[in-house]
Amino acid sequence: MVYNVVIKTYGGKVVLMKKIILVIMLLVSAAALIFVYNDDFLYSRQIMKIKDIETVSQDISQNSLGLKEEHYKRRIKGVITNGSEKGEEIEMIYNETYSSVVTDKFRAGDKVIIDGKDIELKRDFYLAVMVVIFIDLIFAVGTFKGLLSVVSVVINSVIFYCGLYLYISGGINLLFLCVVEMLVFSVLSLLLAGGANKKTLSAVAAVACSTFIMLALLLIVVKTTKYSGINFNEISFLTVPFEDVIVPELLIGSIGAVMDVAITISSAMSELIDKNSDISSKALNRSAREIGKDIMSTMSNVLFFTYLCAGLPVFVLAIRNGFTLRNYIASNFSLELSRFLAGSIGIVITIPISAFVSIKIMKRGAKAK
Amino acid sequence: MNIVLMAILFLLMLYIDKKRGLRLFLSLVFNFGILIVIFYLVALGFNAVVCSLIGCFAVSCIILFFVNSDNIKTRSSLKSISIVLVILSVLIFAMAHLSRIAGFGYESYEEINMFSYDVRIDFTDIAISMILISLIGATVDSSIAISSALYEVYENNRELSKKELFTSGMNIGKDILCTTTNTLMFAFLGDFMTLLIWFYKCEYSFAEIVNAKTFAAEMIRILFSATGCLIVIPVTAYITACAIKKAKPEAENAA
Repeated sequence: MVYNVVIKTYGGKVVLMKKIILVIMLLVSAAALIFVYNDDFLYSRQIMKIKDIETVSQDISQNSLGLKEEHYKRRIKGVITNGSEKGEEIEMIYNETYSSVVTDKFRAGDKVIIDGKDIELKRDFYLAVMVVIFIDLIFAVGTFKGLLSVVSVVINSVIFYCGLYLYISGGINLLFLCVVEMLVFSVLSLLLAGGANKKTLSAVAAVACSTFIMLALLLIVVKTTKYSGINFNEISFLTVPFEDVIVPELLIGSIGAVMDVAITISSAMSELIDKNSDISSKALNRSAREIGKDIMSTMSNVLFFTYLCAGLPVFVLAIRNGFTLRNYIASNFSLELSRFLAGSIGIVITIPISAFVSIKIMKRGAKAK
Repeated sequence: MNIVLMAILFLLMLYIDKKRGLRLFLSLVFNFGILIVIFYLVALGFNAVVCSLIGCFAVSCIILFFVNSDNIKTRSSLKSISIVLVILSVLIFAMAHLSRIAGFGYESYEEINMFSYDVRIDFTDIAISMILISLIGATVDSSIAISSALYEVYENNRELSKKELFTSGMNIGKDILCTTTNTLMFAFLGDFMTLLIWFYKCEYSFAEIVNAKTFAAEMIRILFSATGCLIVIPVTAYITACAIKKAKPEAENAA
């Protein structure tokens, strides 16, 4: 009853058009990849294509736990592929280790960016490969709807970036900006996903309500516990006061999931009201909760693994440096855990809220008719 | 602070549904346990890729069979997830080796400078297992959504052929797609925020951001998670359609 799916048998024309567009997209992707691979001329730094690598020296060091690590000093020879010195051969020395914690292992054929004495792999090609695979797949699976979701992701990222710009250069409170941004995100993505109708309206209203409740909840928790148990050394890349970023981070991290729940519940509600316009609010509430059960279990798992696995590299480094498991877990993982918890709370809170909101909005509409 | 949040979450889950909420909360605790075991085994020096593949399998079993239940839907989901994991691990292996996203970028040096870097464990494997673990949640999510919706469709309309079932599975998939990409994207944006602020403050150029290891590693991780949910859609639709058709004719004949 919940999943009321109409099987659409597409006309031959649509299938053919999809195939043609897919072929065009594949061609464009291939062209884009070739371009990105050869875009050296766009860089202001020198880029070198490695021809040959030889080992200059090699030694073994030992850390306090007796782990033996191999260090290599290698000389690379290569050709510069851009700028005024294009075509000239140069040689450089770099260090490599077995573990490659902070070093990289280069191979002949790699393109690297030269930055003074440092070299960095030119990774744009690989990123482009991933993006292209993703976009082509999303079209193959989701056709135009899939492409639309990519568009909404891109627009949202741009808005997000603009918001950060306002925060850094304009000094506007980040939390305020985030709340505004979240409202904009939800209106945009839900409109793009569902079109302008009552379903979208109630989803947006539900997202707005949940956002404010989440915000209030987080602020209360943060104020009363004073961030106890959170290890701030864990926030990497911190260049601004942590109080500025932590609540916005938690909020932004959860908005995607909140939108997801809101749209699922409100479209199910509208489906139910469509099928039976006399359905009572109580019955609607019950079905909403039934759907909510299914969503909450899988959604919270998505967030769980997405967040918690980010701690793996530092964990390995710490254990291999002689930390004990207990020590480490007690002092770390706190931030990842709070991200996950905040997101899941968002998901669970949205279930009753969006049921309530969509019943209110849609029932009123039904009566007005 | 986390304990307070945890208590709130637990109560909310119970509010939605007592039995299911309790199971879900327990499964999260189990999953956390498994995650720590995987992490620890990796840190002890066992092969990271093998450990995380086994871990992913265990985690999917828990989510599918403990939180949901053992039936035709969850079994086809498990099958599809295993297939997707195998396909993706080849891709991830190639990508992690090619793009050299192992280890830490310049931006994280401050965070790790208290450690010795001589740890004798190949961080390329660590990068691979990180990507594998982070995609498992999302993949299980879309797989179970499709197989249960497909089953529902079949229950309401038993005359559907295998091909029609597959098509309707793909249609359901399209609806899931948009919302899942959103969930994933915002989860990562929350993670990204401090990094982006860093890029801003340190005046990175576009070229520097795109080639930075920290950025590339995160992007590749998101895109693999999203690709996992994408690939699992047709695979689950096909396997579930087959499984339903295989299981049902006998039941109908018997009746």
